[in-house]
Amino acid sequence: MAEEQLVTFSLGSEEFGVDIMRVQEIIRIPPITRVPKASEYVEGVINLRGNVIPVISLRNRFGMTRVEETDLSRIIVLQVQTKVFGIRVDAVTEVLRLESEAIEPPPPITLGMDAQFIRGVGKIGERLLILLDLDHIMGGETNHDVCA
Amino acid sequence: MGRDEDNKQGIELGEFLDFYLLDSQEQIERLGAGLLQLEKEGENIGLINDLFRSAHSLKGASGTMGFTPIVSLTHAAEDLLDRLRQGKIEVSLEMIDILLAVTDRVKAMLAQVEQRQDITVGFEDLVSSMRLLLNGESVDVSIASHPVEEVIETLSFVPLDFSLTLDEREKLNNAYSIGRAVYQVDVALESNTLMKAVRAVMATQVIEGMGTVIKLLPSVEELEAGTAESFSMLILSDESKEEIKRDLLEISELVEVIVHSYPNSEELGDLDKIPNEINKTIAEEKIKPISKQETAVIPKGSVKAVASPAAEATTGEGNTQVHTIRVDTVRMDNLINLVGEMVITRTRLVQIGLDLKAQYSTDGMVNNLNEANVYLGRLMNDLQESVMRLRMVAIGTVFNRFPRLIRDLAKKTGKEIDLVLKGEDTELDKTVVEVIGDPLMHLIRNSVDHGIESPEKRREAGKPEFGTITLNAFHEGNHIAILISDDGAGLDLDKIRQIAVSKGLVGEREELSERDVANLIFLPGFSTADVVTDISGRGVGMDVVKKALNNLGGMVDITTRRGKGSTFTIRLPLTLAIIQALLVEVGQEIYAVPLSSVLETLLVSREDIKTVGGLPMVQLRGNTLPLISLQEKFDLPAPESESGEVFVVVVGFGDKALGLIVDELRGQQEVVIKSLGDFLNNLPGIAGATILGDGKVTLILDIGSLLQDVLVNRKG
Repeated sequence: MAEEQLVTFSLGSEEFGVDIMRVQEIIRIPPITRVPKASEYVEGVINLRGNVIPVISLRNRFGMTRVEETDLSRIIVLQVQTKVFGIRVDAVTEVLRLESEAIEPPPPITLGMDAQFIRGVGKIGERLLILLDLDHIMGGETNHDVCA
Repeated sequence: MGRDEDNKQGIELGEFLDFYLLDSQEQIERLGAGLLQLEKEGENIGLINDLFRSAHSLKGASGTMGFTPIVSLTHAAEDLLDRLRQGKIEVSLEMIDILLAVTDRVKAMLAQVEQRQDITVGFEDLVSSMRLLLNGESVDVSIASHPVEEVIETLSFVPLDFSLTLDEREKLNNAYSIGRAVYQVDVALESNTLMKAVRAVMATQVIEGMGTVIKLLPSVEELEAGTAESFSMLILSDESKEEIKRDLLEISELVEVIVHSYPNSEELGDLDKIPNEINKTIAEEKIKPISKQETAVIPKGSVKAVASPAAEATTGEGNTQVHTIRVDTVRMDNLINLVGEMVITRTRLVQIGLDLKAQYSTDGMVNNLNEANVYLGRLMNDLQESVMRLRMVAIGTVFNRFPRLIRDLAKKTGKEIDLVLKGEDTELDKTVVEVIGDPLMHLIRNSVDHGIESPEKRREAGKPEFGTITLNAFHEGNHIAILISDDGAGLDLDKIRQIAVSKGLVGEREELSERDVANLIFLPGFSTADVVTDISGRGVGMDVVKKALNNLGGMVDITTRRGKGSTFTIRLPLTLAIIQALLVEVGQEIYAVPLSSVLETLLVSREDIKTVGGLPMVQLRGNTLPLISLQEKFDLPAPESESGEVFVVVVGFGDKALGLIVDELRGQQEVVIKSLGDFLNNLPGIAGATILGDGKVTLILDIGSLLQDVLVNRKG
């Protein structure tokens, strides 16, 4: 039986999941350098052991309001194809396994965010987990970034 | 044909193959350069001896590896050169043509070997021509040019996007499913053909006699209206490529017909990928009996980096021993990365030392630490310099391919052109050398095509019939300058202005200096059909050249005099890896400005800043210096208190300068340039990032693009 292992995190009251195979590491928020003229959702760049990687604010990406950094705030460093980047989240919650059957396609009316970022919705009892489509979080957007 | 022996021998050829390829490519370059020299200087026994040796060792190596076609070609060439060496025959133009064709053919063969394909390039025609030459008979040189081009075309064939309609696509799919061959036929017309559309119609009729034409590109109407000198057809046919070609060539005024198999439309989604994928699958099939390790592709850099010694090898006696070793570029890059990390770490150490000193200023141990730091700093500088020197390559490696280009272009256009190379020994970073070739080639093609006039025109203008293009490279501070000058007609500034106005790139009444007008040709969208020709205009505009150079942190400028010629000046930084930078603070952020482009720093009173045409300016020693506020440019928060004076960092290349308004100067430091990655490249004004001693990322400003911004859009 197929199952997926996910890293889950929260943004406000919503809970999200990403495929654990894409997660390189989870770090506390280091100093972030703003990048002028980059897309709004690009929070900036950070130094990850000598490599410069971009960080995306998921709140901004999903049109949510900004919040102050807390002790729980984290950056999840992801590797999508050959690209490494971080997503900033309110808190990382847990690592869990989810049966493939428990994953449903994204509902036609999404939770106020762009449907292209959502791969599906996972159900764990009463909990709803939004599964992110990582290829679109940044990859699909590179073209018009440049013109910004 | 091809590697028929390796099965028999059953040995692992992979590693040897890499060496063989490196060596042979070098020999071939040497042969090519030597032949051109021979053409220029005539009989020169030393040179012929060198050429003979190159051909000989190429033959020997190819024989060992079992590449019989290469052996046959080089063997015949060797015979010919041997006869020359003994003075039994004399050097003739046709001989040079044929021998150059041999180098092209061998190059194409080596390319196939490199891709682990069988050698399919033909050679018999050249071998028999060389036999004729050997006996002092004359030969038909036309074979020297045509078949080779075809070979090269086949290697780099990219299927054309015919933008098929659904109907046409279905026909195509049907053909694939019943196994009917689909070809793309590229036809070149004679340049003075009057009724091009008629030739195309004749060609379609010929094809209809043996198959079906699905699409003609450009269409008959477009051919009638346009100046295109070639067209392509997508056809279905059961005839062989050769038969199609032969029948088409019977139509007069068709100079070249190339028939390619057209890949199945299913794969057409991504046109660019196709040739690679085809090669890959072919390569995978061929190497089955060989071990896995061998499939590793030779790192490209390592091939390029060694292509240099052609010049000195042909001039010297050949027996001078060169004390060099070949190193894989990947290893070298690793070394450079390590040194980069060490530089960062040393900067941290220095910071720690200073912090300690502030806290325990009287402690002798702290002083010892700081002394050691200073010494370490010196060693690091030396180490860094030595490592960077490893990557320095003479620009001659790039220049060397241009004599042949000019020769061919001159023949094609009927112009007479001399190429003068200067400063070939000028060294610059390997990374720069690797990417500078294409922009240079484009500028040279441009000079041949638009710069140099035809011999008749030159005679009328009272100039020597031989046009001269000069390539000159020299160091200029921390930059390298490359000048491409021609003594041709110069730019037609009125016409350029006219085109720019008609395209809405500049206003009709704008006041532009001659130089401003000349620089308009670098605007995107300027290069269009009315300047496109076969040679320089292949849909690649000067804006692409400019952009490529900007990406390297350099810039390009043009000066021109009507009737006297034009000069393109390229300025590039010497290295792209570690630089000295001036750190500046703007809106609570720190940015690094490459020190090589910093001319001076000024403290300017706000009252002295005047706004001219919407842009702030300041008078500097009698000249007007345009200013950019980085805070505005990058939308940074404004400083809380405005003081009466601001810091201005004057940056520029050559005689172009620009002032950056910043809040604070934070001192000078060496920084290691890191890429911002795929997501964030191409940001305006940002060249890259670096990591400072405190571990924080700092962005490096792209002075080239900031300058070009102001110079080109200064009216906007």
